[in-house]
Amino acid sequence: MCGQYRRNLTAPLPLAGEGEQSRRGRQRYSFLRALTFAALMWLVSTSPSLASGPRIVSMNVCSDQLVLSLADPYQILGLSRFARDAWQSWAADAARHYPVLSGGAEDVLVLKPDVVVVSRFDKRETRDLLQANGLHLVEFTVPRTLDEVKAQIRQMGDVVQHPDRANAEIARLDAAIVRARATVTAHHYRVLPLERRGWVPGEDSLVSSLLTEVGLTNAADELGFRAGGFASLEAIVKLRPDFILVSEAGDRAEDEGRAFLLHPALEHFYPPDKRIVLPERLTVCGGVMLADALDRLTAELKRVTR
Amino acid sequence: MSVQDFALATEVAARRRLGATVVLAALVVLLVLISLGIGPVRLSPLRVIEALFGGGSEVAQVIVREIRLPRTILAVAIGGMLGLSGAALQGLLRNPLAAPSLFGAPQAAAFGAVLVISLDLADVRSYALPVAAIIAAFGSVFALLAIAGRNAGLLILILSGLAISSFAGAATALVMNLSSNPFVALEIAFWLLGSLEDRSFQHVAIALPFIIAGAFILLSQASSFRALTLGEEAAQSLGVDVGRLRLLVISGVALGVGGAVAVTGSIGFIGLVAPHLMRPVIGHDPARLLVPSALAGSALLLAADIAVRIIPATSDIKVGVLTSIIGVPFFLYLIKRERRALGGGVA
Repeated sequence: MCGQYRRNLTAPLPLAGEGEQSRRGRQRYSFLRALTFAALMWLVSTSPSLASGPRIVSMNVCSDQLVLSLADPYQILGLSRFARDAWQSWAADAARHYPVLSGGAEDVLVLKPDVVVVSRFDKRETRDLLQANGLHLVEFTVPRTLDEVKAQIRQMGDVVQHPDRANAEIARLDAAIVRARATVTAHHYRVLPLERRGWVPGEDSLVSSLLTEVGLTNAADELGFRAGGFASLEAIVKLRPDFILVSEAGDRAEDEGRAFLLHPALEHFYPPDKRIVLPERLTVCGGVMLADALDRLTAELKRVTR
Repeated sequence: MSVQDFALATEVAARRRLGATVVLAALVVLLVLISLGIGPVRLSPLRVIEALFGGGSEVAQVIVREIRLPRTILAVAIGGMLGLSGAALQGLLRNPLAAPSLFGAPQAAAFGAVLVISLDLADVRSYALPVAAIIAAFGSVFALLAIAGRNAGLLILILSGLAISSFAGAATALVMNLSSNPFVALEIAFWLLGSLEDRSFQHVAIALPFIIAGAFILLSQASSFRALTLGEEAAQSLGVDVGRLRLLVISGVALGVGGAVAVTGSIGFIGLVAPHLMRPVIGHDPARLLVPSALAGSALLLAADIAVRIIPATSDIKVGVLTSIIGVPFFLYLIKRERRALGGGVA
């Protein structure tokens, strides 16, 4: 733990240039560096609240992304198993620099983090076990609206003790919302968000609030899916929404769940220029990536209504 | 019984067989029409027929021709193939309890297909899937007959079949763990239950050629099955090459079942039930049993697939679940009826 901390502190300090610089200069520089380092170490050891935020373990792919976007690198002790999955996680690349946990309680107990960030909806037994062993757990729920997302960003900012960064991210999200609203057209297109096997996220989903922000209507309501549900091909074809929203373009079906979205009956009415494509990694979690999701959604809307 | 009486009795039996076959064919046609008429979107029979022949609204046309028609064609073809495979295996082994699903063939075929899906080797609508399923199905039936031997008793066949299907099931679960597709467990769990839902003509195109080839092979062996009822040696004296017959039947069953499983997952027990339903009507001649069993299989699967669309449920019922729920009690009833033969097998 300490080793990681030291690496992170020293890495940003520039090394003295090679060759041209005089030996004396270099020596003086390394002396200064050592002095700075010693001073910092002293600060760290005497007043932890000043230089070090809490060390964090995240056990859910959504909280992973919040932690990655708000915490300092040295604060992150471990991330969930799916943190590096580019399909689900927008921050998959950033996650490569951090250890990935097994998902069980053992390695978390060994790491002894100050805070464990979990989702309220998974791994109840693991959570109970960690709590029983005296770890401080912070639970996050699944946000359904952009306001809830902002609240979560703020909450995570407090957890990692960087509220300023949280505010900056919220401002970025607000700016994206303003941009999206500026593009709202007079015509309120009916869009059916459609996932594998015909799953339709309901009105109370994050995708639905994104659609509303850009002036679109979620057609799921017409199918009677307030809380989401599986739509049959026939029902979709009969409903005839203006567009369908899918998470991926392309013509490859790696399984039958995906083949549903490529069924000839759907392709007949929804060829690629009737499909709004919004990658899953931008919409599955509530977080700072929603600013990108909104921009992407407006761009896609422009493409399909051109 | 005089000669005339015998001739009369034969004629009556022949007429009954023909009558039964015609009635079955009519039943299949009726079920096809019902299958085309039933779905989440209500369409009147008139509109269905209109849409089928390219009239009516675009939506109705797509619903009938792109969604319901391929599903119906698959039900007819796969049900028929399963019924035919059951009748052929029962003929080959001279054993009324033989059926592809009891021998682990569908489970092995499922393993072959799951291997392709899990390791993301190919698109699920490509020929890679049926080919992998067929190879695995061939391997399983071949292994079963090799292990159980030529004149295996009922018990040995069923026990070996059980072992093979458990092995295929475990291998399937293992392959699932190796997958990089995060949805694969759910996908495959659904798929293993067997379903005809939302299949398209792409699926028909990958399954049908193999099913037709398999059916052709099995039907061409009809006279050999009849000769085989006299016993293997008698059949050989009549010019039947029993070794070749076995290989042909295994190939036919593997082609048909492999092709079917590749697009629908495993649908069990139709191959067992169909020939049994036909035997009281058609008689015990395995050659004459083939076509009626295929028709009965088609009718059974069509009926089951119609039922899953009618039975009210919060999420769709899988057709394979329904066929097993009906098929397993039937199988248990058969075991009870054949208890004496089974007991004899042990002794």
